[in-house]
Amino acid sequence: MLWKNTQNELIKITSKIRSYIGIGALTVLILLVIFAMQADGKTYIGFVTSTFEQTLTFNGNILNGNLIAFIIMQMLIVHVPLLIVLVTGDLLSGELASGTIRMLATKPISRTGIVLSKWFAATIYTLIMTLWMGFLSLFVAHWIFGTGDLMVLNPDGLLILPSDDLLWRFGISMVLAFLALWTVATLSLAFSAFAKNSVGPIVITMAVIILFTIIGTLDVTVFDDLKFYLFTTHMATWRIVFEDPFPTEDILISALVLLGHVVGLLLLAIYRFNRKDINA
Amino acid sequence: MGLIEVKHLSKNFGSFNAVKDVSFQVNEGDVFGFLGPNGAGKSTTIRCLLSLIRPSGGEIKFFNKSLASHRLEVLAKIGCIIEKPDFYKYLSAQKNLELFARISGKNIEKKQVLEMLDFVGLAGREKDKVSGFSHGMKQRLGIAQTLLHDPEIIILDEPTTGLDPQGIIDVRNLILRLKNERNKTIMLSSHQLSEIEIIANRMVIINQGKTIVEGGVQELLDKQSLNVEITVDRPEVFEALMADKYPLLPVHRLYHSTYYITLETEERNQLTEVMVASGCGVRSIVPKRSLEDFFIKIISS
Repeated sequence: MLWKNTQNELIKITSKIRSYIGIGALTVLILLVIFAMQADGKTYIGFVTSTFEQTLTFNGNILNGNLIAFIIMQMLIVHVPLLIVLVTGDLLSGELASGTIRMLATKPISRTGIVLSKWFAATIYTLIMTLWMGFLSLFVAHWIFGTGDLMVLNPDGLLILPSDDLLWRFGISMVLAFLALWTVATLSLAFSAFAKNSVGPIVITMAVIILFTIIGTLDVTVFDDLKFYLFTTHMATWRIVFEDPFPTEDILISALVLLGHVVGLLLLAIYRFNRKDINA
Repeated sequence: MGLIEVKHLSKNFGSFNAVKDVSFQVNEGDVFGFLGPNGAGKSTTIRCLLSLIRPSGGEIKFFNKSLASHRLEVLAKIGCIIEKPDFYKYLSAQKNLELFARISGKNIEKKQVLEMLDFVGLAGREKDKVSGFSHGMKQRLGIAQTLLHDPEIIILDEPTTGLDPQGIIDVRNLILRLKNERNKTIMLSSHQLSEIEIIANRMVIINQGKTIVEGGVQELLDKQSLNVEITVDRPEVFEALMADKYPLLPVHRLYHSTYYITLETEERNQLTEVMVASGCGVRSIVPKRSLEDFFIKIISS
């Protein structure tokens, strides 16, 4: 029954126009970045390299597909959650708002089963969005700009990663990006279990992301202990994949924190929906 | 056998007691009318029966099994419409039914979905999106969804709300067909008292969250006073007779020779005999008893 309802949820997602807004917007954004970098990328790179030109000489294809992919990921990690939440924040509350939940909840499927099937569908949608982002940013950028070493500007200085050392790093960064987006999707699903309209969970999820991000960037001692537990702190972990030496422990800890959030928020959604009186 | 048994059901929303003490039993093969004024607790009770709402107290049993511990097993044998049927508007009628068929607990094929759409008069519209459907068409689609998995019990909450007269007749005929041809047990909540009087064999009336009366429709109606419109050929003889034999009975003259009187059970059989014996011919006697009168009397008392 769980798989059958997950199929239903996927049919609902693929039949809604809003599901394609995210994919469409993502495609347009990435293509715009690629177009901008193709048109004016050398000037952009010039700003970065000018600081080091007195001590270093840059040879080869600096403006390559790896750098473009890295820039795209950096730019989109803030915006893609909004595109995901547009779909996942509506999964439970949308059924309440439209009244279809009455039909669904009187079928022989448990309330837990309803939440889980929606969560599976949200997971698949998030995975597709992540893979699409990865495909466009990595493969399309490689196709247009070719390959080359990646120049990463860290707080510690400039790091050059050889091109043959990059594919696996991009793979891991995609896994971490997926974990971050999965957390956001599950957060919006949990809010969706509390709400009776579609807009509320979307707005609240984004508000939480903005609030936590601001707390994470505030250089105030009182928040220092708190920062570790905010999922937004770990949403940017994908970036440390491009450090040398590779920070395995930090990455594992962040992955575990994000996974913990996913499990905790899913349990919250299940608990809330099981106790909910459906008056709609 | 009691297919549905509700005992001392209660439901509180905070400090508000929506349902205080509702009990009734629906037997196999019944068309069971579930009546009550607005705010009586009908919808809350039905939502409790379908586990949309968690009861605060009392017991609900289907097929002699507790709903709380056999929820999925019970829901697989129930078809329902709660108020208005809401569907996924961005999907077609057929796709909507296929979604619900997939999670109905039975293996329902596409052919059966199309047959059901044909049964409710939506053949040819199966590919149309529900967003373009009228209320009547959605109601028909709701009935198709209810019957798709061939449930043993059908629960309909206000199934004729918003329908035109032809739609109301169609739903009434459909309910009678389900009872007569498929021997379904049907629980029906409605404000259309005339509908309940025509199609239900048993009923319960609730008010202010409590059961007021339960029993067979005809049995309950037989117990109440009978209003009669009587037309006689000799009005002066009739009036003298009533004053002599039934001095306490209220008699209202409607027209020249037509009167409106209220008879208690024991007076009903005697009246015509007494009239004939006294030489007062009866042209017609029209009983004016109705569920509506009974309902208003019960609620107001």
